[in-house]
Amino acid sequence: MSTPSGSPEREGSTGGPNQLECPPSSPPGMDHSMGSPLLSPDSSCQDAMLSAPAASPADSESLSPDELELLAKLEEQNRLLEADSKSMRSMSGSRRNSGSSLVSSSSASSNLSHLEEDTWILWGRIVNEWDEWRRKKDKLLKELIRKGIPHHFRAIVWQLLGNATDMPVKNQYSELLKMSSPCEKLIRRDIARTYPEHEFFKGQDSLGQEVLFNVMKAYSLVDREVGYCQGSAFIVGLLLMQMPEEEAFCVFVRLMQEYRLRELFKPTMAELGLCIYQFEYLLQEQLPELNVHFRSQSFHTSMYASSWFLTLFLTFLPMPVATRIFDIFMYEGLEIIFRVGMAILQYNQTDLIQLDMEGMSQHFQKVIPHQFDSCPDKLILRAYQVKYNPKRMKKLEKEYTTIKNKEMEEQIEIKRLRTENRLLKQRIETLEKGQVTRAQEAEENYVIKRELAVVRQQFSVTSQNLEKAQDTIGELQREKYTEQFVTGLQTQLEQSRLQEAELLGALKEMQDKVLDLEKRSSSLPDENNVAQLQDELKLVKLRELETLHSFREMQDTVTELNQRWQHHMSKSGGVGGHWKESPKKNALNELQDKLMGVRLREAQAQAELREVKLKAIQLESQNQIHGKLIGRHEVESAALQERLQQLAGQNKGLQAQLTEMKRKQAELDCKSKEEVMAVRLREADSMAAMAELRQKIAELEIQKEEGLIQGQLNHSDSSQYITQLRDQIGELKNEIRQLRGQRSKFAPSSRDGGGGYPDLCLASPSSAGGDYLSSDEDLLPSPIPPDAMYPALPHPHPSARLDSEGSTDSEAEAHPDHPHHGPSQQLYTSMVCAEVLDN
Amino acid sequence: MEAIWLYQFRLIVIGDSTVGKSCLIRRFTEGRFTQVSDPTVGVDFFSRLVEIEPGKRIKLQIWDTAGQERFRSITRAYYRNSVGGLLLFDITNRRSFQNVHDWLEEARSHVQPHSIVFLLVGHKCDLEPQRQVTRQEAEKLAGAYGMRYVETSARDAINVEHAFTELTRDIFQLVRSGDITIQEGWEGVKSGFVPNMVHSSEEVTKSDRRCLC
Repeated sequence: MSTPSGSPEREGSTGGPNQLECPPSSPPGMDHSMGSPLLSPDSSCQDAMLSAPAASPADSESLSPDELELLAKLEEQNRLLEADSKSMRSMSGSRRNSGSSLVSSSSASSNLSHLEEDTWILWGRIVNEWDEWRRKKDKLLKELIRKGIPHHFRAIVWQLLGNATDMPVKNQYSELLKMSSPCEKLIRRDIARTYPEHEFFKGQDSLGQEVLFNVMKAYSLVDREVGYCQGSAFIVGLLLMQMPEEEAFCVFVRLMQEYRLRELFKPTMAELGLCIYQFEYLLQEQLPELNVHFRSQSFHTSMYASSWFLTLFLTFLPMPVATRIFDIFMYEGLEIIFRVGMAILQYNQTDLIQLDMEGMSQHFQKVIPHQFDSCPDKLILRAYQVKYNPKRMKKLEKEYTTIKNKEMEEQIEIKRLRTENRLLKQRIETLEKGQVTRAQEAEENYVIKRELAVVRQQFSVTSQNLEKAQDTIGELQREKYTEQFVTGLQTQLEQSRLQEAELLGALKEMQDKVLDLEKRSSSLPDENNVAQLQDELKLVKLRELETLHSFREMQDTVTELNQRWQHHMSKSGGVGGHWKESPKKNALNELQDKLMGVRLREAQAQAELREVKLKAIQLESQNQIHGKLIGRHEVESAALQERLQQLAGQNKGLQAQLTEMKRKQAELDCKSKEEVMAVRLREADSMAAMAELRQKIAELEIQKEEGLIQGQLNHSDSSQYITQLRDQIGELKNEIRQLRGQRSKFAPSSRDGGGGYPDLCLASPSSAGGDYLSSDEDLLPSPIPPDAMYPALPHPHPSARLDSEGSTDSEAEAHPDHPHHGPSQQLYTSMVCAEVLDN
Repeated sequence: MEAIWLYQFRLIVIGDSTVGKSCLIRRFTEGRFTQVSDPTVGVDFFSRLVEIEPGKRIKLQIWDTAGQERFRSITRAYYRNSVGGLLLFDITNRRSFQNVHDWLEEARSHVQPHSIVFLLVGHKCDLEPQRQVTRQEAEKLAGAYGMRYVETSARDAINVEHAFTELTRDIFQLVRSGDITIQEGWEGVKSGFVPNMVHSSEEVTKSDRRCLC
């Protein structure tokens, strides 16, 4: 809770810088009453003041008469002061500074000034004879401080109380100011908000802010761990109101070192937690009702009390009251804070109990800070009535540290357990997954084995084939058949190619011819015409024959006619005379001759025509013969083409055969090699996979066991049980080690003794290759005693139990006396069943 | 006179030192602005009623916390019982923006098993010329954490009401939808009294039952 920053009490008469300048040797004033310039007429307040000495009867009892006298004087002074302040208030109103108060008080009563003088003299003596006072009159000093240190003596008395008068760190101060601190920025920001209403600190570049910054920075450099903590500036500010910065710095260093403040302001603020814990105890013990009310309203102690402890009421109560408390703090330490805090709560208990959260908050913020404005003594008196048992507080401190340590341990433990839990969960998950995958792997394993068997068979077949092939190859090579064959084939190929080329040439020629003939034949009449022509030819021949006949007849007639003609001529010789006789007859004869001649020529021409016709017929028949020839040729060429194609096809076939032969041979070679390789690879792969699987299984087994143990550890509350278990684990580990030792002895002799993996033995009967199984021996899971699974069962010698287990469960091939079979078999019974079913 | 309210929400205001947490709360609860205020040492408490809908008033209990890191040992006890939070940074102080993530982490690790509805507040938006954090990047960050973002100024009273009312509305919606429930031993949300409903017998029995358990 912070006080309302605008309270005028902040700039009360106690802390003005002008007062700093007042020399201690100045005439005695009313410094004692500085804290209460406005005493209320409240009678209870006065009563409290009056009964102040009664509060410490033990103290006064042990005092010397001298000191008792002094105390009495002081009391008298108090009374007078009060009377004076009453009269002052009625007379001159408020006093704003000590100067005026000095004047007014001295003028008010000579008796008072006398008393003041006494106080001054007394404090002067105390300061001068400090060591003696502390040694001999400590109780009186305590009493005097509780009544308030006169303002002018505060600087020196605080320094003396804090034992800060002669500190080596003082010499470093000017050096520290030259350095820069990492907290500077934060300090700078907070400086403006420290006593912002106070004259000394008002204004951005005021002297107060400057020196406050200096001291805070210097401290943050001296004590890097604490550095700067919000709240501490208020304490330094108060010191700076009383003394120069170097001194204030020294006192602050002392306060931090010797007054638990350093622990309060440390980054962990552990001390604050302790203070609140202790305060809560006091609250519970002395104000149980209020404590219950606070709890029901969830009004945490830290809400109001943290600032009480961190700023020593400087931000909660008005300056004069807070300064009085600070006086006592300088002498008695944090105890006064507890006392004042309890006194405040006690005083307000009845009010607070009736309020809710908001009301209480308001009450703390608005009402409480000003309750003791007029009579700080009343508060201090009440504070000393609070029961405070330092031994009890020490005890509480121890309690708190153990609680805190426990809490811290618990937190560490919780963190550890959380991480462990997380890890275990992960492990369980992986384990669960692992079980599934393991089953899958077993299945796969089985499949692989089968495949392997098949592959082996294949392999044997192929190797046989390969051998055969190699034999044939060898044979072939021996006979050098292949090469010859190939060359033969090649020559054949060449020949066939040549043939093909020739044929192609011939074909082309033929085709040309065909084309030629076709062209020609197209110009010739077609077959029908030929038939017609043949018919016509026959007719023509017939006609020719007829013509020949008629020609012969004609020739016969011609010859007849010629004969006749000659006969006639011969007759006409005789008849020549006729001619002479008759010219007409001559001319007729001549005409007849001419006619005859024409007829002859005609006959001749006809004969020629017939000859020409004959020739035409002959040509036609020749043409026909040619046409037939063409037809025959065509047929022939088609046949040839067919043959050519056949040959080409044959050729191709041969070529294909050849290449196939070659490819087949190469393939056969490759295949056999590949198969050999593949088979080998597969063999290696499956062996590796199986080895891996076995390793995994072993690991998972161990993990699972561990997980189970740890899980049980987690769930058990009793640490005894845990340690017991841990011991057991240790024992078991030893045994495991021993067993491992045994196992290593057993291992070489236990070929095929994979009793821990009956699935293997069962799954690979076909591929019972010795080398294949021999690798298993190394990968057998490390034996986990069954006790790990059932830690509650007392089995001091797990091996004994293992033996019996192993003999009952082991498969045909397992050695009954082999110590490794038991756990794994026990754990994989279900697996085994599955395998058996599969088989 | 006790004001009537439907629910009481407890809010926590966090953020680096000197980003203006106390000033923002003071502006909201007291309606005034103080140029300088004491640094908060520990935790302060404020409260105010907010009317989110006509006739629907919510009482806000606001916890003001010390910003300096070492005070976290005290302030972290207050996360658990808070239903909402204002996470402040100073728009003229980039460092305070960079620490937003740390504050969320701090809150998240100490609020379990509950959760806090946070509102990201860029404070001192009246100091625009000295701005070191852009609105875009702040909005982006807020979006990444599923928060709303509001820029406020306690000095000029910009968005102060808006910030608190928006957060209150969000929480109210979550309470209404059942995402946030009133729980025994948790002070984040408390049910208040509704004057009109008190007369109905159903409500009386309901409240009776609540009292009994």
